[in-house]
Amino acid sequence: MDAPNLIAAVQALQPDATVREKTDRPTLIVPAEGLVALATRLRDDPALKFELLEAHTAIDWIEEDRFELLYLLASIAHGHVLTLSVSVDRENPEVPTLCNVYPIAEWLERESYDLMGILYDDHPDLRRLFLEDDWVGFPLRKDYEDDFMLERPE
Amino acid sequence: MGVITDKLPGVLEPVPGGQVLLTAVDQLINWSRSNSLWPLTFGTSCCAIEMMMATGAARHDMARFGAEVARPSPRQADLLVIAGTIVKRMAPRLRTLYEQMAEPRYVMATGSCAICGGPFMYDSYTTIRGADEVIPVDVYVPGCPPRPEAFFYGLLTLQKMIREGESIRHPGERRRPVLAALPEGMTLDDIRKEMQDLLSHDANVKMVDELAEGAHFSAELKDF
Ligand code: SF4
Repeated sequence: MDAPNLIAAVQALQPDATVREKTDRPTLIVPAEGLVALATRLRDDPALKFELLEAHTAIDWIEEDRFELLYLLASIAHGHVLTLSVSVDRENPEVPTLCNVYPIAEWLERESYDLMGILYDDHPDLRRLFLEDDWVGFPLRKDYEDDFMLERPE
Repeated sequence: MGVITDKLPGVLEPVPGGQVLLTAVDQLINWSRSNSLWPLTFGTSCCAIEMMMATGAARHDMARFGAEVARPSPRQADLLVIAGTIVKRMAPRLRTLYEQMAEPRYVMATGSCAICGGPFMYDSYTTIRGADEVIPVDVYVPGCPPRPEAFFYGLLTLQKMIREGESIRHPGERRRPVLAALPEGMTLDDIRKEMQDLLSHDANVKMVDELAEGAHFSAELKDF
């Protein structure tokens, strides 16, 4: 399916999804609440068939006081791709987990918990992935600081 | 080897002429050590690709220097090439690997990351600023990543150091005499000329006259 058709099809499933303009991949901004239901339908709908979660990352928009979570979906059967963007509050970054839809999400979500501190509801095993277990803080947040870091001299 | 290095000095030194003999033995041992360096298969990031270029790829062929047998076990290796960034979590493992290697062991730090933290020196929560904060380093090879030529220069420097450095009278004590490993009577221009000769035989390389470069370049690009 090409991008406009794809977006129309997904918007039929999720009417409050808004389209982001000027992106390489078709991108939809969706609310956090219906995320699991939407992902399940995207995976199971025979015309869409997004059976692969390629990547999942988080962006820290500190000025806007939010984290943006990106879910990069792909369909091997149909050869089309889609990005879902979800915004969560920076103070209380909670989203439902996608583990039950895409098993790979377990580790992808552990990674963004580890480095960004996103909290995934119902995640079976939300531990650190890269850093030591006793690490304090989430180093990829823009306001992270510790004693080990060196400031770049001007 | 253990018997020779442990017992020989004590046996030989009292006899007349023993000192001279010991020196000869030193030279023999150091020569053989310097020509049978077995690197450990150890690479942590992009510099490791360059190390593979230098050790495994056809053109550069490290076998010429007796150092091609990369070993996957630290017990069998005696050259540790730190190729890549060392992060906080890697540091204890690096230390363990180093300690598992048998004496005499040598360490080469290649790339700015292994020397000082490189591009990740500032604003990094995890990069160790130089592998020598964790283990002692014998030779540093700068670059990001170093070219294979630089890698070999470092290797030759290390070999020179091994050849001149140690005596079985004081095992483990290493002299670091190396200023430059350029053979005598050779200048940088000679090397550049040799490189140019070599590269001009290469079908993939287009030689551009350095002086006329500016004018040439745009024309060649258009042809291309
Ligand atoms: S020195 Fe450069 S090439 Fe080497 S590991 Fe560091 S960043 Fe990569």
